[in-house]
Parts: sequence; C-alpha cells; structure tokens
Amino acid sequence: MRALAASVEEVFREASARWTLLAYFAISSLFILLFAAAVNLDIVDGALAGAKLFGKEVDLGGEKIDMDRLVLGFEAGFSGFLYMLGTFLALFATAHLVPRLQEKGTVDLYLSRPIGRTKLLLSRYAGGLLLAAANLLYLMGSIWAIVVWKTGVAHPRFLLGGVVILFAIASLLAFAFLVGVATSSTAVSLMVTYAVFFFAALLSGHEKISAAVSSETSANVIHGLYWIFPKTAELGRATVGLVSGGELREGFFDLGGIDVLAVFGTTAIFGILSLALASRLFARKDF
Amino acid sequence: MSPVIEANGLRKVYSSRFGTRKVRALDGIDLSVRAGEVFGLLGPNGAGKTTAVKILLGLTQATEGSARLFGIPVSDPESRRRVGYLPEGHRFPGYLTAGQTLSIFGRMSGVDGATLKTRIPELLARVRLSDWRDVKVKKFSKGMTQRLGLASALVHDPAVLLLDEPTDGVDPVGRREIRDLLQAEAARGRAILLNSHLLSEIELTCDRVAVLRRGKVAAQGRIADLTAQGSLYRMTASPVDEALLSAFRETGASVERVNGHLVLTTRDLAHVNALVDTLRARGGILSELAPVRSTLEDVFVDLVKTGEAGEKL
Repeated sequence: MRALAASVEEVFREASARWTLLAYFAISSLFILLFAAAVNLDIVDGALAGAKLFGKEVDLGGEKIDMDRLVLGFEAGFSGFLYMLGTFLALFATAHLVPRLQEKGTVDLYLSRPIGRTKLLLSRYAGGLLLAAANLLYLMGSIWAIVVWKTGVAHPRFLLGGVVILFAIASLLAFAFLVGVATSSTAVSLMVTYAVFFFAALLSGHEKISAAVSSETSANVIHGLYWIFPKTAELGRATVGLVSGGELREGFFDLGGIDVLAVFGTTAIFGILSLALASRLFARKDF
Repeated sequence: MSPVIEANGLRKVYSSRFGTRKVRALDGIDLSVRAGEVFGLLGPNGAGKTTAVKILLGLTQATEGSARLFGIPVSDPESRRRVGYLPEGHRFPGYLTAGQTLSIFGRMSGVDGATLKTRIPELLARVRLSDWRDVKVKKFSKGMTQRLGLASALVHDPAVLLLDEPTDGVDPVGRREIRDLLQAEAARGRAILLNSHLLSEIELTCDRVAVLRRGKVAAQGRIADLTAQGSLYRMTASPVDEALLSAFRETGASVERVNGHLVLTTRDLAHVNALVDTLRARGGILSELAPVRSTLEDVFVDLVKTGEAGEKL
C-alpha cells in the first residue's frame, strides 16, 4: 500500500510540474472567472426578470422565466460541452504516464523495486484517474458554485454529470494506457485514443450506416464494432440526460433515451479489457 | 554460506520485431555471489553484462536457465525487497528534488515515513548532497545524479547492491569516495555486484570477477588468481653470481636478470622452494620473492583477443 501511495504521489508531483496541467487549470480558472463576471441576473420571486451578459441587457421578451428550469437547461447543455472538454483535457494531461514510465533509464528505477509490474501500472492508472477527477471536480464544482451564487438555485445533479464524464475518461484512459504500453509514445497514444472517441461516436449511428451498406457481412462488421467500442456519443447524451433529470424506468435510469445497461456495460468491458491487456503486455515486456 | 545471488545456465536470445533475426546475448552463464563479497562483472560492449543484471532484477526474462536472489526466483517481486540497483544511464524524474526522489523510491521499496525521515539526511550526507536536498534533480550535474542514484540504491538498506557503472561521470575524488563507500558496505556484509568498464576500479574494489565474452563466462575467479602468471616469480637476492644462475638452471628453471632482480620460470611451488634452498645453501640472502602478476587489464585484453582469434579460425 505504501508503494502504491508513493507511485500515486509521484503522478501528482509530475502533473504539478508539467505545463499541460498548469495550462489546464489556468484555462479552467479563466473560464470560471469569465463566467462569474459575465453573467448578471435579476431575479424576482424565483423567476428571471432580467439578465445581463458581458454588461449588455438580454432581451427576455418582457416575460418572467422560471429560474429553476432555466438553470436546469443551462446546466444540462453545459454538461454536454464539459463532457467533450473534460474528456479531451484529462486524456491530454495523463496519456504520457505510461510512455514516460517506459523511457530508457527510467523504467529500471521503478521495476527494480519490490512492486509487481501490474500493481505499478494500476497505481499509475489510479493516479491518472484521480488527477482527472480532481480536474473535473475543480471545473464542474466551480461552475456549479457560481450558478448557485448567481441564481440561488442548487442542482446537485449537475455534479452527478461529472461521474458519467469520469466513467468515460476511465474507459478511454485504459485504452490510452494499452497503446502507451505497446508503442511507448504519448503522441500515438493520444492520437489513437482520440480517433477511437470519434470513431465510436460515428458508430452510434450503426443502424443507419449498416442499412446503407450493400453486403450483409459489412453490416455485421459495423454492428460488431459498435458493440466492441466504447459508447462515446451515448455517454455524452447520458451526461446531459442525468443532469436534466433522468428518471427510473423499469429498474434503470432513462438517460436521454439510451439503453443504460448496454452503454455503460460495454464501455466498462472495453476499459477493463484494455487495462487487462495493457497489464499483461507490460508484465511480459523486456526492458 | 549460501549465495545471495545465484544464476544457473542463463541464456537470453533477443528476437527482432517479426522474429526474423535473433541475437544471443547470454549463452549459459553461471554466477554466484556471497554476502560481504564484491563481485565484478567485466566484458567488452555487447558481452551480456547488462542483460545478466537485468535478468537478476526481473527487468528482462531469461530464455533459459534460472536466477535467484536470497533463494527467491527473480520473477517474484519479493526477491527485490532487499536489493538496491543503480542502472547505467539512469534518469530520475527531473521534477523531483533529491529529498523527494529518495522519499518516493524509498516508499516504493517498502520503507516507512518515520524511518525515511532519519535515513534520507544520513544518505544525502554520505554522498555529499545535503545542501542539494531541496533542489530539483534536473539541475544536477552527471556526477551528482550518479551519487543520488547510489543513495537511492541504498535508501531501503538493502543486503545486495547491483551497480552498473557506478563511477560513470564522477570526478576522481568522487570515485575514491564511492569506492570507499562500497568497501564499507561490503564490510557490513552486503553483497555487491559491480558492472564496470573501469578495470582499475574493479581491481581496487572487487574480490572476485567474471569476464564475459559473447554471452559466455570466459574466466571467473579471485583477481589475485586471474592475474598471477602461474610459473613466473621475481627474486631479489645477494650475492647473485653465474655459479648460482647455473645451479638454478640445472634444476630446469629458466632464469633472466631484469633490472637488478631475477625472473624465474618454474614448474610449481615445490620447484620455487628448491631454488630458495639452493640459494641458501650457497650462502645467499633472499630479500624478495613474489609471483609476477599481470594487471587485470592485461588479463581482460588477452581473454577478449583470444576469443576474437578463436572466432576467426
């Protein structure tokens, strides 16, 4: 446990020394400050009577808008944006963890300690995920706090959206680790993982795509790929769905009209298999 | 006493990416190092020294053969619990300070925080880095990085040290200090396996050596035994006259006068004693008698050249 904690601490120390993470925090902070300064709302009896954006009056058509619904709508839409931003930035800030570990002259220092290779890899994965969670909490927590401060409306569901985003990051980071172990390249690892993100999003339209192809084999391949890859588009919809108020239906949450069990289950399997394969490759590799 | 480092029939074949080309790095080597012993691993570039050390640490898997540390197979991470390693060309994370480096790698080796609080300042003092404790490693010179590496190898108080070129980039004073430190550690009962190109360092530090050549052990033993030229002795005596030399030659010894002393080629130790008896019987006084030794470098070069010549035939 001591060894694992030291490994996680090293991930955080490295992150704090890297410009990418500092830039991420700076961009997030700037975004948060702009958001806090730009939006000024005039709330009367729990409804929006007037709003100013960057000091300019927003035309509400003379109507009073229900504040609760407005905040919910804003947070739901914004969570979709954060799903993309948070996932991309988190991968960017953590994909180097394995390639840097495998560098000549560095890997020997770690592997010569009495810590198994699988444990070492998993501790770095845990460190990367904790780092991503900290980033996400900072960004989403700050936005949520500003919304509460400006409107007096608190929707904890917005924060729950972060859990889905973190779930997507966990699955994609596992894949980035697999590519990192195989290639020892941060650039390749990032490129391939981002490609998987977009390719998987395209596959969400697998029914339409397979209907358009001429052969049954091609259609089956497309369906097959859909079930193998993580459900990146559906998870984005699930984030928005959860924030905007998904409901329990037949024992499962209805989040944006997606099959929750299939989406979360196959994405989790993709991540677990990626991490298991990465661990196996790492354990068998000669350095 | 059972060996703390043990390797039997180690073979390692590296394959190219698609398995089309194979390189034999180790071809059945046996090694054994006991507690308190400083053992040197020598060999030209590509002889398999680093591969052997990497197999001992589980960094590389042997194609054949077995290796154990403290009787535990090297595939078990627990075998590294009491091993300190200094790799060649190591690169500590540049964003860590010297203190943080020792703390993180110490805890990775299972040392608790309270112990590290006292051990880190001690170790930094031993390698003359106390003033650099809070400075980031990226600012260190090569010699300083090497000394930090040595401190990191010692941070968990290991019973075995595997050191790959420990004096690389270190100035002569630093080299002397490292040599003293290694001898002190060996005196405390640590087994040390030293991998170095600096034969003079090895000669001064090691008890035993193995010379690797093309993945095989070309010679192994105590430095004194390897460098002794079996039958050659240097004798200083007086008086030395032609009659004495003739008497020596009559026993079958070959005698040569060199710079005021005699170089005798003898059959064995009994023959040497017989020559001493002859000298005394003639009223001569013996002031020095010593075996003629080569340097370790001579032995090393001979072994490597013999190997190359053998391969050409």
